[in-house]
Amino acid sequence: MPSERMSDEKRSVQFSRRKFLAGSGATVAASLAGCFGGGAGSSGSDSVKIGFVLPFSGTYSFLGESIVNGVKLRLDEQLDGEIDGRSVEYVRKDTGADPATGASITQEFLQSENVDFIVGPVSSAVAGAMKPEIASSGSAIWLNANAGNYKLVQDNCTKYHFRTSFNTWQTSAPLASYINDNIADNVVLSYANYTFGQQSKNLFREEFENVGGTVVDEIGAPLGTSDYSSFLQEIENSGADAVFSFFAGSDAVNYIKQFSSFGLNGKMTQTGSGFLLSADTLQAQGTAALGMYSLLHYTPTKQTDRNQAFVDAYSGQYDTTPNVYACQGYDSALAAELAVTEAGGTETDPMVSSLAGAELDSPRGYFKFKSSTHDPVMDMDIRQVVEADGGVQNEVVETLTQVEGPTWGCDL
Amino acid sequence: MAIEGVAKTVLLGVEMGMTLVLVTVGLTLIFGMMDVINFAHGSLYMLGAYFGLTVVTVTGNWWAALLVAPLLVGLLGGLIEYFSIRPLYGRNPLYHILLTFGFAILLHGLVTEIWGGQVQNIATPALLEGSVDLALFSYPLFRLFLLGVSIAVAAVLWAAMRRSDFGIVMRASAHDSEMVDALGTDVKRVFTAVFVLGSILAGLAGVLLGTSRAVDPGMAASIIIQAFAIVVIGGLGSYRGAVVGAFVVGMLNAFGPTFAPQFTDALLYLLMAAVLLVKPAGLFGNPEGA
Amino acid sequence: MSVRDLVGRHFSARQQSDVLSGRVRVGLFVAGVVAILFAPFAQAVHPFWMDLATHMFIFALFALSLDFVFGYAGLLSFGHAAMFGAGGYAAALLIQNATASALVVLPVAVLVGAAIAALIGWLSVSARGIYFAMLTLAFAQLFYTVAFNDIPAMLLGLEAVTNGDNGLVGITSLTLFGVDTGSLMAYYYLSLAMLGGMLALVTRLANSPFGRVMQAIRENEDRVAFIGYDVDRYKIVAFTISGGMAGLAGGLWVPFNSTATTAMLHWTTSGELIVMTLLGGMGTLWGPIAGAFLVVFLEDSLSAIGNWEIYLGIVYIVIVIFAPRGLAGIFRTVRSNPDPRVLLSKARSALATYREKVFS
Repeated sequence: MPSERMSDEKRSVQFSRRKFLAGSGATVAASLAGCFGGGAGSSGSDSVKIGFVLPFSGTYSFLGESIVNGVKLRLDEQLDGEIDGRSVEYVRKDTGADPATGASITQEFLQSENVDFIVGPVSSAVAGAMKPEIASSGSAIWLNANAGNYKLVQDNCTKYHFRTSFNTWQTSAPLASYINDNIADNVVLSYANYTFGQQSKNLFREEFENVGGTVVDEIGAPLGTSDYSSFLQEIENSGADAVFSFFAGSDAVNYIKQFSSFGLNGKMTQTGSGFLLSADTLQAQGTAALGMYSLLHYTPTKQTDRNQAFVDAYSGQYDTTPNVYACQGYDSALAAELAVTEAGGTETDPMVSSLAGAELDSPRGYFKFKSSTHDPVMDMDIRQVVEADGGVQNEVVETLTQVEGPTWGCDL
Repeated sequence: MAIEGVAKTVLLGVEMGMTLVLVTVGLTLIFGMMDVINFAHGSLYMLGAYFGLTVVTVTGNWWAALLVAPLLVGLLGGLIEYFSIRPLYGRNPLYHILLTFGFAILLHGLVTEIWGGQVQNIATPALLEGSVDLALFSYPLFRLFLLGVSIAVAAVLWAAMRRSDFGIVMRASAHDSEMVDALGTDVKRVFTAVFVLGSILAGLAGVLLGTSRAVDPGMAASIIIQAFAIVVIGGLGSYRGAVVGAFVVGMLNAFGPTFAPQFTDALLYLLMAAVLLVKPAGLFGNPEGA
Repeated sequence: MSVRDLVGRHFSARQQSDVLSGRVRVGLFVAGVVAILFAPFAQAVHPFWMDLATHMFIFALFALSLDFVFGYAGLLSFGHAAMFGAGGYAAALLIQNATASALVVLPVAVLVGAAIAALIGWLSVSARGIYFAMLTLAFAQLFYTVAFNDIPAMLLGLEAVTNGDNGLVGITSLTLFGVDTGSLMAYYYLSLAMLGGMLALVTRLANSPFGRVMQAIRENEDRVAFIGYDVDRYKIVAFTISGGMAGLAGGLWVPFNSTATTAMLHWTTSGELIVMTLLGGMGTLWGPIAGAFLVVFLEDSLSAIGNWEIYLGIVYIVIVIFAPRGLAGIFRTVRSNPDPRVLLSKARSALATYREKVFS
């Protein structure tokens, strides 16, 4: 029931906040000690410091909190707050999804807090602003837990960047052959007109045309549109048999609900990048989303032992099922764990070498950091929305194994 | 575009327009009466949706939400007017917009704290699901219901303002509140009543649109700018202006995507600026009412 | 002769009705000295304090620009973000493509801000009060949409100019006489100098005949027109000056954060600015500076705790109702009535007025 879930979420937020506040006293003391004691380099040789550059207020706050939950599940609950004998410290600051704030927080974390790892951000725009700082500093490893813009790797790729999330190619293009083979050979594209949406539809289009399909039309709507009626008219008028879309958050909810209410669900098959139909939007989309396909690297209902263990642990800790953001957080923690353990310390360059080409035991399935780009090579799930007790959920229809994607000229 | 397409788009425009009327008519009446620009109007709309969500969760009945949520919002609006706007009457009217802006911030924070930041939605009631066949095309039943409710509310309001005692007092107070006060009516009570009425309308819009659209804390900010644009275009304080303005913007939203999908936002602001430049008081506004 | 007399003589206001009374000037002078000495202190203890302080200085400058037109000339602008953002983007594009010299970038940012303000002002000036505010809002949102969709790139056939929702990143810091101002301390002093300079300039302006006319316009526009002044022209000039200052703030903000993004142009930035100005105390010039310091500090320190919007919202609402002259007003009342009993009775009478207005 929605209210239970609502209070679940709230409880999980309160829980993590309480835990953080308990820990923050120690953190503040530690950082102050660092200041007054003329703090040498990294925060002491026997601790690992992780800085969260994430949104904790506004539209994306739920995503930010989910990522933190994922990290803490691994490091606090499963590893008792230690990696290889070193205690783990956290600092967190709210980006509010503003790139300028993200850049300044990153500066602070690198120069003043001396973090070893930076986990975040949620928004690709913030990531773009963070990148120059992290690249020139070289004192911390960046575990990119959600920003998928492929240009982060294409333009001046930096070895300190490790993506524990995905890139926009992976969440769009691989669906092309599946659609062409199983659903329709002609599609119309609809998307939110900003970088993420544009990239997704462009990359999908390229791949779809490569495999012999036809793109009938492209319809872009301004980001934040709440009423898609006219755009849906255009989509219907295109006469295509299937739609590939990119929308996220409240846009995704509005789009899908209205798509269904106009009866388009019966006329065309709706598909899209996973964020269109993900755990955080499905509850609101409800039965309007039934039968729709999406592509994402993490599905909570995936029936593998590894995932089940993760889902059980997460639900036990936070009273709610994990989502893709939590998984990305969890994998970031796995990466930090691996880096420190293998490198025998928190020196950045040895950690970079340990992580490049390394595999993680991720709940999502296969996961490996590609040596040349530090982007993930991972399994992608094609899911379909089905009924489940009390609502709807994604069911994995097919898993594409070890999906890589282009290197865009990056060779680290 | 084929004739069915055009007809459907026209209906879309009318429906979107009338829906916007619900949101904006309260805003314009409040300004007309009290010179108060209610920046928190979008927040009241948002609270209508969230109260509706809670009522549905608790009672399982959408119709109960439709009844209760707007009343709750009205109550809240009344409290806000009573305790924070009343003390400001007589001051420079710009203070009202400053105050209500503060409420917009506060309410946004409260909603995020109480209901959480993730996106939600009020499930469409079973009775109103599905589409209706309208000869040339089919149209969602719920949207027709929305259209019907908006037209009914607008009509009742219009009649009430013209005919009822309260309506007459309201219009008189908008025109010259001092005189009305001198004649013995407690103008302050009238103001509160108008604010409550405007809040109820905003709350009603919230429940209705919270069903056909996403519910999240950002919905206040996105509706308030549109609402401002509409009342400015129509004329601050003019009921007729709000209706016409909403209608124009509804049509813009309906036909815009066909011709210039990327610029539908920009078109709205251009229109707003254009009207303000040519006739600052808006299409039906009273030039004295600045 | 005490130090205070000595200092006071240099900073005494010429007339009683001058903006920034003698006492306030002394106070500001002291504050300035503290600020100058603060940097080396912070460098030794916790360098990142300078980062926060610079953030405060830049927004204080931004708030000052709004106070000049609003608190002072009575023109509420809901679109100051447009000039702030325009100055910022201009600085970003210059630094990326031409030069990072502060002597070029900052004046250009000022000019761009002023030009945008002149345009908006000229178009909007015939509207009064709330309509003027709405117009500035509309224009600012237009700029936002233009930047978000990167319309300049579309028009010029380039790949990216404003770079849409990703903005311009990796903007290097300004150089002043060949010296890189990228270090925390250098940028601190640069921003402080800009703030101080602008404050002095604005005070001079405010006390000049031009400033007097502006104050008169705020009090009673029609009368000033009847006397024979071209009110519209004065308004446009004031708005332009204000826009130039906002542009300067933007030009400082961008290299500081190494990014220029559409958030700078969004109406919520204008809104945040209004909160700062009001909390500080409109029309006092130094009040909004204090307001900016307060809001920046609160947002930073509360962001770890959680929903700062609730706390800020409540504080703001209470101040609007009970202390409309903001911090400056409270400070002034306390200063002129040092006796706590008098203050208490003032507070009580304020509450009584409130009760009367609400419950009667």
